[in-house]
Amino acid sequence: MTVRGEGLRRWSILLFLALLHFGLRPWLGNGRFAPDFLLLALLVYAIGERPGRAVIAGFLIGLLSDSLRPVAFGSAMLAYSVVGYLAAWGKAVFFAENPVVAAAFFFGGVVIRDVLVLVWGGGTSGAGLLWQLGIWTPLQGLATAVMGLAVLYAFRRWLGLRLSG
Amino acid sequence: MVSERFASRWDTLAFVVCVGLALVARALPERVQESVAAGVRQTLLVPFLLVEQETSRLRAAYGEADSFLAERDSAALRAIRAEGLAEENHRLRELLELRDRLPDGGVSAVILRQATPTRGLAVLLSKGAHDGIRPLSPVITPHGLLGVVRSVDPSTSVAVLWTHPDFRVSAMTPDGSVFGLVRPRGGDPDTMTMLLAGVPYRDTIPTGTPLLTSGFGGVYPRGIPIGWVVGMLDEQEGLARSYVVQAAAHPSSTSHVIVLVRHLADIGGAYAPAHDQ
Repeated sequence: MTVRGEGLRRWSILLFLALLHFGLRPWLGNGRFAPDFLLLALLVYAIGERPGRAVIAGFLIGLLSDSLRPVAFGSAMLAYSVVGYLAAWGKAVFFAENPVVAAAFFFGGVVIRDVLVLVWGGGTSGAGLLWQLGIWTPLQGLATAVMGLAVLYAFRRWLGLRLSG
Repeated sequence: MVSERFASRWDTLAFVVCVGLALVARALPERVQESVAAGVRQTLLVPFLLVEQETSRLRAAYGEADSFLAERDSAALRAIRAEGLAEENHRLRELLELRDRLPDGGVSAVILRQATPTRGLAVLLSKGAHDGIRPLSPVITPHGLLGVVRSVDPSTSVAVLWTHPDFRVSAMTPDGSVFGLVRPRGGDPDTMTMLLAGVPYRDTIPTGTPLLTSGFGGVYPRGIPIGWVVGMLDEQEGLARSYVVQAAAHPSSTSHVIVLVRHLADIGGAYAPAHDQ
């Protein structure tokens, strides 16, 4: 596989995930725990990239997210940037091409994103914050982790992964 | 080794710059934030929002087709299979009935769903300036007031919901004898409760009393249901009382709304049939 071909395949996966975010999510029931395909795209991108590129990708996805819902504008940019950076650094340690570890990787991305958006963005506090972080965030994390594993298995050759199990 | 060290420094620099830009974006004046967001929505996000709008339309059509087929089935099968669709159809029918009762000036719109945890505070609507929507257009449902439009793009608009900390609406009892200011109570948007503050101490509102928009301020027409009083929260001795209000419109169970694009003084008549039931 040429470097250019590899890049094209990676970008087509990201585009596919972005289309799923806007085209499939409305069909997946309650938006509070439907998988977040944009975050998934960022994490998949971060697996194969340096932290610098991952943080820029995170910043751009955060900008899109903030533009869609300008409550606490800037909080999603910060959250996605941090998630992208941590994911690219952490993949060497955590992304052991093991499905359970990969699922934890996706789950952790959702949790960190939500904590940063809620804490930095404000707007929700007290019981609402606990309810979001205690119930909805873990549920969305689980859904995103399951969807992430499906994406990794489906595109493992294009991503150059050898998932065990 | 040198290039690796350079790459590592570049990574750190990119991180610092991006986080710095995010902090700057957070500190920008709200007007600038909204113009940046509108710029992104009108350029980068256009194809994706089109996909989402078409998907929502397809979903509604699918629901209608399934409903049509279900009507041919036996009542028992319909009850089992189409419970969710019937619920959605019921909501749409309520919306159509409300729009028929409203004077001219209502535009129906779909709420586009997003993933971030602030989704309970503001929503993106599928209609915008091309449909006559302007900032401060009230957003209503068949059950009552849901929010108000904050910013408008050509084909979409952003509405803050009554759960948003900045939301305020002047309220009154149906007989117009008691007035106050309703705002979100804070905490979980799913608690569905608001706060009616500033009620003069001499006035008391019995539990269960409905609250309607008063029309003061010129943003919301008079007569839109806001909710109903479920109890007194506290009282400032001799000055004012605060009441807990159960909201009429639930953000998370709403998929379609009506945006009032023309200024109307009083739309209480449109909600009268619902009150009579």
